[in-house]
Amino acid sequence: MKTSTWAQMARMAWQYLMRRKLRTTLTTLAIVFGVALIFAMELVLPGVEKALEQSLEAESEGVDLNIASATGDAFDPQPALDTLHNTQGVAAITEVLRRRIILPKTQQLGDITQIELIGVDVATLDQVRTYELRDGRFLENSGEAVVAPDVGKTGDTITVVTAVGLKTFAVVGVLTQGGLTPRVLIHLDEAQTALAQPGLVNLLEIDFEPGVNKDHLTDQIKTALGDDRYLYNASVSDEFAIMDIAYLIFGLFGVIALFLGAFLIFNTFRTVVIERRHDLGMLRAVGATRRQIMQLILIESLLQGVMGTLIGLILGYLMAAGMLEAMKGILDQYMGQFFDIGLLVTPGAFAVPVGLGLLCTLVAGYWPALRAGKTTPLESLRPASGATVQRAANWGLVVGFAVMALALLMLIASTKTTIPGAILFLVGAVIASPGMVMPAARLFNPLLTLWFAREGDLARGNMVRQPGRAAITASTLMIGLATFILIAAIVKGFEQLMSDLVDRSFSSDILVMPTVIGTYSSIVGADEAQVEELRQLPDVEEVAELRHAASTHNGQRLEIYGIDPQVYPDVSPMLFTKGESAQAYGQLNEGRKAILNPVAAVMLGASVGDTVKLITMQGQQPYEVVGIANDLLNLKLATVFISQESLKTDFNKTESIMMMINIESGADTQTVAGQVEDVLREYPQFTIEITSEYRSTLETMVSNNLKIYYGLGLLILIPAALGLLNTLTINVLERTREIGIVRAVGGSRVQVRRMVVAEALLLCTFGAAVGVLVGVVVSYGFISSFSLMGWEVDYVFPVMGIIAAIVIALLLALFSSILPARNAARLDIIRALQYE
Amino acid sequence: MPVVQTESLTKIYGDDSHRVYALNNVSLTIEQGEFVAIMGPSGSGKSTLLYLLGGLEGPTNGKICLNGDDLSTLDDDDLSRKRRTEIGFVFQFFNLIPVLTAEENVAIPLILDGVPRSRALQRADEALIQVGLLDRKTHRPAELSGGEQQRVALARALVTNPALILGDEPTGNLDSRSSDEVVQLLRQVVDNGGRTLVLVTHDPRIAAYADRIIFLKDGQIVDENRLKGQASAENIRERLVKIAV
Ligand SMILES: Nc1ncnc2c1ncn2[C@@H]1O[C@H](COP(=O)(O)OP(=O)(O)OP(=O)(O)O)[C@@H](O)[C@H]1O
Ligand SMILES: [Mg+2]
Repeated sequence: MKTSTWAQMARMAWQYLMRRKLRTTLTTLAIVFGVALIFAMELVLPGVEKALEQSLEAESEGVDLNIASATGDAFDPQPALDTLHNTQGVAAITEVLRRRIILPKTQQLGDITQIELIGVDVATLDQVRTYELRDGRFLENSGEAVVAPDVGKTGDTITVVTAVGLKTFAVVGVLTQGGLTPRVLIHLDEAQTALAQPGLVNLLEIDFEPGVNKDHLTDQIKTALGDDRYLYNASVSDEFAIMDIAYLIFGLFGVIALFLGAFLIFNTFRTVVIERRHDLGMLRAVGATRRQIMQLILIESLLQGVMGTLIGLILGYLMAAGMLEAMKGILDQYMGQFFDIGLLVTPGAFAVPVGLGLLCTLVAGYWPALRAGKTTPLESLRPASGATVQRAANWGLVVGFAVMALALLMLIASTKTTIPGAILFLVGAVIASPGMVMPAARLFNPLLTLWFAREGDLARGNMVRQPGRAAITASTLMIGLATFILIAAIVKGFEQLMSDLVDRSFSSDILVMPTVIGTYSSIVGADEAQVEELRQLPDVEEVAELRHAASTHNGQRLEIYGIDPQVYPDVSPMLFTKGESAQAYGQLNEGRKAILNPVAAVMLGASVGDTVKLITMQGQQPYEVVGIANDLLNLKLATVFISQESLKTDFNKTESIMMMINIESGADTQTVAGQVEDVLREYPQFTIEITSEYRSTLETMVSNNLKIYYGLGLLILIPAALGLLNTLTINVLERTREIGIVRAVGGSRVQVRRMVVAEALLLCTFGAAVGVLVGVVVSYGFISSFSLMGWEVDYVFPVMGIIAAIVIALLLALFSSILPARNAARLDIIRALQYE
Repeated sequence: MPVVQTESLTKIYGDDSHRVYALNNVSLTIEQGEFVAIMGPSGSGKSTLLYLLGGLEGPTNGKICLNGDDLSTLDDDDLSRKRRTEIGFVFQFFNLIPVLTAEENVAIPLILDGVPRSRALQRADEALIQVGLLDRKTHRPAELSGGEQQRVALARALVTNPALILGDEPTGNLDSRSSDEVVQLLRQVVDNGGRTLVLVTHDPRIAAYADRIIFLKDGQIVDENRLKGQASAENIRERLVKIAV
């Protein structure tokens, strides 16, 4: 009677796992780490996404169609209303003006830091939709507000920051549903005053006659009103451009983590197969078929995959929770609390990590299993011949160098191919590394001999004997270090850019800043009267103001700033990359002229002298590009600078979101700052800063925030450390018998320990050398391709990053060799000699 | 029909610049029920011959027939099946799988062949009784002495009742009494079970049990002696010395 043998193979695989606990643990850790990282991403990112979506979603219950301006800003509704009223099938229209407002610290309502102020037209609202109340009544008289439950209760009064100072409203009703951002409903006309947008709205909500074909009618309205001025049924997208960058960074990180995880799994099983050469050969010799050997390895990898995945999921959940906390911190700092992020545990979140954990272990186990299947029985009977190994390694060297050469060409060829080129270079280095082991060992030998005398020779012998394994370990380290250097270079580059910009952007004496930088749509600015009052202060020489509006280009957000070209350059000169500054500023006031920042230049595909079409409140308008320049505040967002005149005529915006003040020479900055504060006491959304002080705080803040990325970089080194620990431990286990012989013929414990440490150092020096080289090339590629995205970052040679990487590599070597070295030294000589 | 038949078997190791003739033009026939000892100085190609006979490795030139099948015509799966059902192997080094117990090690060929586990272990126990190691069945290789490990390997070679048993110095680690016991056991298996045995040994006392001794030197058969169990150890030793010089 015969049965299928796979269950027996599974049993044997299990025995291998269970009777080699240390090794199994080390291997499983690799999988655990990969799965955990990816699961954490999967938990956090969709949560962020959902929070975004929810906050974007205008909860437009009962509304058949909503129309917003294409710019996202307020517009004069009259032309659209005229058309709509004459359209068959439209039953009712109501106008809305709403704005998310971040509450300054002194004006927060409990723990609410922001509200959505919604001005509604009570006369028409109930024809289109209703807001359900849990308490009180809806708006009737002026000065009343209906609020979300967490904002207040009936009978309270609330104070809101507006463009004309603080305004107080009496709460007459409480909404059932508060909205993601707590809502405050007030009368439309009061909202228009509060937001300094008289007569303007930013949303039309429309109800259709019963029975009409919605899609049909929507299309009809679209044709009538045109596409270039209005967005249909679009949620009013706002503020979230900056999220794209967060996505980019996290996405990049996820991909690297995934790559390293898979690499580690592959590495592990490759090692397992090499190491088990004897056993596999013996099984083959007594009659195991190739398939059975493959089964054994695949089942073993699957078993580890299952264990690793389960533990990884748990760890990943914990990591996600931690990451969320960290992210909340960062987001709060940059943009205020936009949304509640929560961990989103959906079945989908499990798909990728579980898929990676299992499938990837299987796939990563497959190649080694295939190799295992090809093990000839004789491999158990005669020590492996080094010749074939070295020949393969030499081939790898040739191919790897060819790939690297091609990659270098791509790096130089054009900015478009730099990133693929950089990645290809990394791949080339991985391919070439087995072939580099031998020369590298020879190269570093003198050093080693210096440190370790005779044991160094043994260590070198060990490394050279298994160039494949040495190379894989070194490659893991290499990728880790290269990533670290990449991050260091990016951070350094940005730090440099920032400090350049900070120096230039803030050359005024006093700054009047919104509490939150970067997302001005939610800032309620100061109106012209206030700015004028500042100008009248005796010691104020000039006031430059920054005004803001928004537009879109192909669905992507475009920030529009109104500056006064006469004053602005004095207080905040921009860093021109194209065009001449004096000339550009001079032309700005002559009609529709624009200065683009590099991101906008890329987005609009325009250069100096071109004319770009901007979507404004007045439809598409042609603007001539007179310069391309960087400005600190808008580094990462596509930004267009136009004159304040143009901003007023084309975008209906006159409020200032930031003011930069130069004082008369001889006047006391501190005193003037006090006077400014007095003028603006009704505007707690602004903070008054002495520029010199602010500049240094900003610089520290920037470099502190960038340091977070060093943390991420260190995280990437964890798999590298695991890989190293794994290899060294397995090396010791595999060489148990040899170590026994060394001890038996008179080697001391210290010598054995030194031998293991020397090998670790050799591996790490090798990995670090290649890693630094690859890191420099890859980071150079990434940085130069940033210009493609519009960030002109200079390549700053990451000296500190490289030094840190080398130090880390050496520390890793020492750290990861402690345990194996101790194990090796403690080996009982007799046991070691008997070890098979 | 002979169990083993080879025609001008040649095995060359190394590349063109550095050739080693491990076997050179070896033709030999072994009948069923024969006990053949292979002797010769170290490096004379004894192990190589055994590996080729066991289908562990292909020859550079020449032909091997096992139970009438030309090994070169068999694919890897057929060879594997032959190894686990028709051949029992005891190797010179590294015989056992370290993570498995003695009993499990013995049962491997059966398990690989799809024999249900309980039945396989039962038969492994019977084989361990034959080599006198039943009380060590739960020990792992590291917990066994070198000689015990070799006896476990022998039990594994016997467990499938193979037609051909190939042993590469299976008594190398045994004291003279134990090796006598082992070789007597093997002699018995050949005589009572009709098995065929090819044994590599350096020990003239062991070789003296064989029906025939083949002497190898530099990969070639230099002498053959049909003793039918009649030669004395002294006799054989003299011959060996003659060959070596
Ligand atoms: N993989 C190999 N590559 C190169 N030469 C080899 C290889 N395997 C064996 N040889 C050579 O072939 C010859 C025969 O080796 P073999 O192992 O058959 O000798 P042996 O008779 O079993 O010796 P011993 O009694 O020492 O075990 C030797 O000279 C050996 O060096
Ligand atoms: Mg031999």
